[in-house]
Amino acid sequence: MPIRIIGDTKVDFIGKRKIAFLVSGILVILGLAATVMLSFGKGNLGIQFVGGTMLEGYFEQPIETSAIRSALGSAGFADAEIQQLQGRAQANSFLVRIKSDPAIAKQAGQSVLDALRKAFPGNPFHMDSVHEVGPAVGKTLQSQARWAVLVSLLGILVYITLRFDFRFGVAATIATFHDILAVLAILYLMNVEITILVITALLTLAGYSLTDTVIVYDRIRENLKKYHKKADFVPAINRSINEVLSRTILTSSTVLAVVIALYVAGGPVLRDFAMSLIFGVVIGTYSSWFVASPIYVEWESRNPKRFKA
Amino acid sequence: MPRGVAWKMGLIVFLILGSFWYLYPTIRLWQLNPAERGEMARNDPKGWIDLQRKAIKLGLDLKGGMHVVLEVDRSKLNPDEAKDAVDRAKEILRNRVDAFGVTEPVIQKQGADRIVVELPGITDVERAQELIGRTAQLEFKLTETPEKAQLLVDRIDKTLEALGGGDTSGISSDTSKSGEKPNEDVYQDLFGKDSGKAKGDTGAALAAKDTGGSVLPPQVPTERPLSSLLDPSRRGTGWMVRRDESPLVKNLLARPEVQKLIPPDLEFAWGTKAQYTGGIEEEQLYLLKKQTEMSGKYLTDAKPSFDQFRKPIVSFQLTREGGRQFARLTGANIGKPLAIILDGRVESAPEIQSRINDRGQITMGTGTSYDEANDLAIVLRAGALPAPVKIIENNVIGPSLGNDSINKGFLASLLGGLAVILIMGIYYQLSGVIADFAVMLNVLFLMAVLAVLHATLTMPGIAGIVLTVGISVDSNVLIFERIREEMRAGKSVKSAIDAGYSRAMVTIIDSHVTTLITALALFMFGTGPIKGFAVTLFWGVAISLFTAVVGTRVVFDIRREYKTLSI
Repeated sequence: MPIRIIGDTKVDFIGKRKIAFLVSGILVILGLAATVMLSFGKGNLGIQFVGGTMLEGYFEQPIETSAIRSALGSAGFADAEIQQLQGRAQANSFLVRIKSDPAIAKQAGQSVLDALRKAFPGNPFHMDSVHEVGPAVGKTLQSQARWAVLVSLLGILVYITLRFDFRFGVAATIATFHDILAVLAILYLMNVEITILVITALLTLAGYSLTDTVIVYDRIRENLKKYHKKADFVPAINRSINEVLSRTILTSSTVLAVVIALYVAGGPVLRDFAMSLIFGVVIGTYSSWFVASPIYVEWESRNPKRFKA
Repeated sequence: MPRGVAWKMGLIVFLILGSFWYLYPTIRLWQLNPAERGEMARNDPKGWIDLQRKAIKLGLDLKGGMHVVLEVDRSKLNPDEAKDAVDRAKEILRNRVDAFGVTEPVIQKQGADRIVVELPGITDVERAQELIGRTAQLEFKLTETPEKAQLLVDRIDKTLEALGGGDTSGISSDTSKSGEKPNEDVYQDLFGKDSGKAKGDTGAALAAKDTGGSVLPPQVPTERPLSSLLDPSRRGTGWMVRRDESPLVKNLLARPEVQKLIPPDLEFAWGTKAQYTGGIEEEQLYLLKKQTEMSGKYLTDAKPSFDQFRKPIVSFQLTREGGRQFARLTGANIGKPLAIILDGRVESAPEIQSRINDRGQITMGTGTSYDEANDLAIVLRAGALPAPVKIIENNVIGPSLGNDSINKGFLASLLGGLAVILIMGIYYQLSGVIADFAVMLNVLFLMAVLAVLHATLTMPGIAGIVLTVGISVDSNVLIFERIREEMRAGKSVKSAIDAGYSRAMVTIIDSHVTTLITALALFMFGTGPIKGFAVTLFWGVAISLFTAVVGTRVVFDIRREYKTLSI
């Protein structure tokens, strides 16, 4: 006997849409707020976007963050962010971040290194990597990120419209946009550093959350062919979602499994990326049930095309 | 066996063999330990380079190296020059980078004004950065006569003496940090080499960071403070300064009281290289006339060579117009030194021996090597570009960080793969196991495609591979769920399989195309590591469309005749 996690369910997804809209609405508003804040530079944006210098390395002996901070402070880097890094191959690993240093090229990185060496002569500091970004680079990157998002959403709208119809297309695009904003809102509240990798994660989840949405839409399309009375519209939609429930859960689970593996084992570089995707997959699945379909339903019920009473 | 299955199986076997064929170089390369690599590089250099070229390239974040973005300032150029300025700069950089013998350096135009330079696995990072960052303006200036220069130094001495001495409280050695450069540097750590090159700076470019402006650092002698630090240059112009005293000299020269004394048509400038004399390292300081007598844009060529005394020289060529100007300049100043200045630092100041038109040569001087002549020639050729170039982004990644990332990437892939295999195997039983094989095939084909495309594998790229594992099973999930549904509705094994595949097809294609669309958008707008991710995601999903449908279908076609299906 095959294992079935979800049997024949009869969840009234459409009926619950008011609550869903509320929750989603809050998330979207938060996400929009986060976007606005970020474009004004408020919030934890990576140096790729705002310029600055980032240095990673390790000390041979243990050392207090406060000691590093005062050493850098007297070297003229009073606003440096210092973070002790966990889970690195070397203990006593630290990250030093200085925002928008206009003296790009070897200057800032070298100066920080000198300051650390001078202040702690008995405790050598070894550098693992340095990233120095001038402020002009960030602007280009920001616009590139925006374009990528725009093009993606447009592509999605066009494709879904071609394969289904315009209303499905719009509903799917709204759901995708909702997913991106919702995850961004969560990341912003958690004060996660928004790097180009995080933006990549957001775009990936945009593309991926559609796989769920498409699965639901496909079934809706199939079922709607069989039902022609207006009263059967909402039940048909509900039934569709219920029928594909195990499918959407399972496809999301497999992706969730690998993304969790990435989070746990992938190392510090990919951690934020993986976390964004974890949120993304969960929210993406949720939005396929509670956002994409209900929006379509709302639109249809107010402005029916399919069923004339 | 049903018809059609045979050629499908044949196709799959063919692709598997093809993949191994394309991946063989990569596998072989990774199997070699460092000792074996060195051996191969020595005994079979062509094969070695070939092997590296055929294997999957590792991105900078995995291999370590330098990634620098330069911006060409075209504002001062006329429209004609501006059009190809960036291309010329690119070619010039290519020349310089070639000198390093880095395997597969990347020099690419980015947008209208920018150039990206990537040097993977480079060890002499400092020399690289110096050479790259030195795409600078080339100028020719005359020097001040020794007598007048000495007068200026004496005047400075007197002013400093008036200021000096006494209160040393509140002054620590930190106040001269504006000029101090340590012996170690950023890169010695990463790459274990002490390049030990002098890094001078133009005195005028340093801001005086002293807090108390009027008290001299304690190391300065109270009598003839400046002169005592200057030794007469053996070259006949300018002075020599001991390397460890040069920060002090810079400090003194940067002081506002001293700056006021320097006449507006003169400037101090430092030499680019330190000289070793009798075991002491010394830098050269010049007093130049500010006026640029000629700009480097008239230079058309510069080549290292040997003169009749077997000494290294640089022979150069100018344009017609340049030749005319140069003839005027050299004709009027025979016997005087002409400073060749790159980015504000004096590369060399040879004496004008005769009137030179459009062809001449620079004698490098005693004790110089052919390499130095070559470096100068390269720099001169580059200096022919009248647009300044500055570094706007600088990334250096040590190799150990890269290795760490690779290990973690593989661990994550294994973990993720295992999780997926378990889920599929438990939930769909034998069919699930078949799907797992399809996933493994998927990864194999994906790696082969990366090798064929000479794509670069980055850390996000590895994430993309891991994601592909999770996404590629989705096609199978959809098919299997459909088959189950059909069987629940009472269909036979045969028709359930047929229905499952055909009905699920539509959904599979639709759902994967949307991921492909975003992967494409990422590829179009992303930079390096992101592009790497987009490539692996795109091909991973595209290939999964094939393996999930064709691959597993083959197996199911064999099982069609069975009465029951383990699914």
